[in-house]
Amino acid sequence: MTSKSRDRHRVTGHLVVRPERCRGCRSCQLACSFARANEFNPSKSCIVLERDMRTERTAPVIKVLCCDLCDGRPACVDACKYDALAFVPASDRRIEYIEEA
Amino acid sequence: MRPLGASVWYVDLTKETWWREDVFPDEVAPFIGGSGYGWKIVADLLPPQVDPFSPENVVVINPGVLVGTRTVGASKTTAITKFPTIASEDNRFYVEECTGGGRYFGIGLKLAGCDHLVILGCSRRPVTIHVSDKGVELRDASNLWGRGIFEVTDELVREEGDDAGVLAIGTAGENLVRSALAIVDKTNSLGRGGLGAVLGAKRVKAIVARGTKGIRVADVVGFHRVSEELFNRALEWPRREHWIRLGLAAGWDTFKHTQYPGIWPKERWEELYGEKKRLESLDRVIACVSCPLSCRLRWVIRGGEFDGEAGLGSPYSKSATSGQLLGIEDDRRMLHLVTEANAHSGIDFYTTTRLIDFVTRAYEQGKLTREDTGGLELRRDYETYLDLFRKTAAREGFGDVLADGWMRLKKEFGLDPQDYWYGGICKGIDFIYDARPSRFHPLMMSFFTRPRPHHGGSHTRTNSLNKTLEEIREQVEHWGLPKEMVDRIFTETPYSGKFNVGRYTAHMEDMMRVKNALGICAMYTYQALMFADDMAKLYSAVTGEELTAGELVERGERISNLAKVVNVREGFTRKDDRPPEVWFRPMQTPEGRIELQDYFQMKTLTKEDLERCLDDYYDERGWDIKTGVPTRATLERLGLAKYAVSH
Repeated sequence: MTSKSRDRHRVTGHLVVRPERCRGCRSCQLACSFARANEFNPSKSCIVLERDMRTERTAPVIKVLCCDLCDGRPACVDACKYDALAFVPASDRRIEYIEEA
Repeated sequence: MRPLGASVWYVDLTKETWWREDVFPDEVAPFIGGSGYGWKIVADLLPPQVDPFSPENVVVINPGVLVGTRTVGASKTTAITKFPTIASEDNRFYVEECTGGGRYFGIGLKLAGCDHLVILGCSRRPVTIHVSDKGVELRDASNLWGRGIFEVTDELVREEGDDAGVLAIGTAGENLVRSALAIVDKTNSLGRGGLGAVLGAKRVKAIVARGTKGIRVADVVGFHRVSEELFNRALEWPRREHWIRLGLAAGWDTFKHTQYPGIWPKERWEELYGEKKRLESLDRVIACVSCPLSCRLRWVIRGGEFDGEAGLGSPYSKSATSGQLLGIEDDRRMLHLVTEANAHSGIDFYTTTRLIDFVTRAYEQGKLTREDTGGLELRRDYETYLDLFRKTAAREGFGDVLADGWMRLKKEFGLDPQDYWYGGICKGIDFIYDARPSRFHPLMMSFFTRPRPHHGGSHTRTNSLNKTLEEIREQVEHWGLPKEMVDRIFTETPYSGKFNVGRYTAHMEDMMRVKNALGICAMYTYQALMFADDMAKLYSAVTGEELTAGELVERGERISNLAKVVNVREGFTRKDDRPPEVWFRPMQTPEGRIELQDYFQMKTLTKEDLERCLDDYYDERGWDIKTGVPTRATLERLGLAKYAVSH
């Protein structure tokens, strides 16, 4: 993580990914690209959906240099209806735990 | 910005070329776009009377208009082709659409900028079609030919990237098994009754789609407002918790009544194939793109001869019904058949298991002999079933007969498909539901009024038992029909019960055309989580063209009529829209006698009753009641006069 993105996370908060809840619907990618570029376009989103071909398991991976946490209201978190993504604001004490985890 | 109009990509396999044509919005709009406009392409391009396996047949693949946007359940891609199912004794073949979801394929086409992929001709060697930002590329697929669907998909995704969508055919498609389908992104089936075989005849092993061009909407604020409301509706659906835990396996409580084959007592079926059993193998539920409900399943067989085998798709209901028909008590053995079909051969599970049920019984009764089967003994046991399943996919020995389906059994051995005891056969293919346990509701009727006897995602409230007349009517009221039309649908008749099934079916089919053109999954209409007026709002927001539910559904009617006239060109008329004979033979079951009844079970229905329903259906459509063919006046009203066929 660069110092710039580290600062941003310190001020704004953190995205928490729970890959076991991901069902592969790609809503996070669509919402992210729309928030950033006003178009639905997974290639312009800050989320890569990793795919395991053996099990067809998917897991969102956040590109930290790209993600600006939507200034505290991440579109991807709103879009995920399976709670695979959560946002923890910097004011939340759990943030330290997450950083260390 | 490219929300309006359509980019049509043509691939000529014979000449190994491709080109692109952009169509203006005012040409697309009357057909909605997606599969609606796909029908126009087919009507203009497909010469009548050609063999489905000939190079003249076309396949048009159409991601829904809303696919690629983030709105509820917008995942469906629809393919249109002439299907190779032998639909009549004089060898006619229907042209129809088939629809399926997925996570990568449909959206991949859209992101590449392709709204319609039109596949023409026939390749000399096996190929894969690659659709990307750069256009279309044909690649040699000799090394993939003969291999299974999942293996091929995995290899193509590894080459192209995790986000590559893949539609692939299996060995059954290559071998021109007439029921063979295609599998999209390993989780969704597309085109039972032969899309896989048509692609096999064209030597297309797979189509790969991915792209990086964005999808925009005309009215951003309006789009998000409607979408958010729809997402909330889906999230608040009382059954959602159960549904997202089990996916399609959650449907058992309805299914065990509506798709009961009537051989075992229901209690025994529950024990062998019920929800508890399903949970033993259920591994995970997977969503299609943009779906907040999710229903695709991954399962892992625990114990038994197939211990550890994993599969993807929706295996439970089909294995439960066919398991009961074939008398297989171990659900894992049926799950294995689904795995072979989905992961490897791409054979249609329903058709093949039912053909096997039919011929093994015929053998038992002496109607088929060892001489007929080429020396094969058709026992009623799993080993024989598995052997026939594989032989059919390979067209090996007697499997070659089964690969041609119901009509060949009739021609070659005089085995009449109308004698089959469950589901029913129409236009050469078996229905997946039977109207006796399901009751005679509109989806049952569309099995024989639609050119292709499959539900096509036309589910409405009436697919579940025990909905009130008010609930049923509420959904129809959202279709934007004039009040007198709705009143006409909800007028009691002595031949179809409290509502007029024939008239309802006509509009329900138009709704189905709308939904498939937009790419919306049937789950949402079935469970009344999305109505036609919601679709109109979404369509308006995406395209910028303001229109009402009524106007949208009228475009659905235009698509239905165009689909019909294309099939009239193939010689289909009222005489082909026949309800299966088996519906009029009461089922004798351990639970008692089950007769064909109307939705509210007020009356047992006869063949004459269903003829009256057909009269109403054609009348509602403005088609000639005697022939079942659209009248010139109707076609003129819909702007389709140039497609009129004199019959």
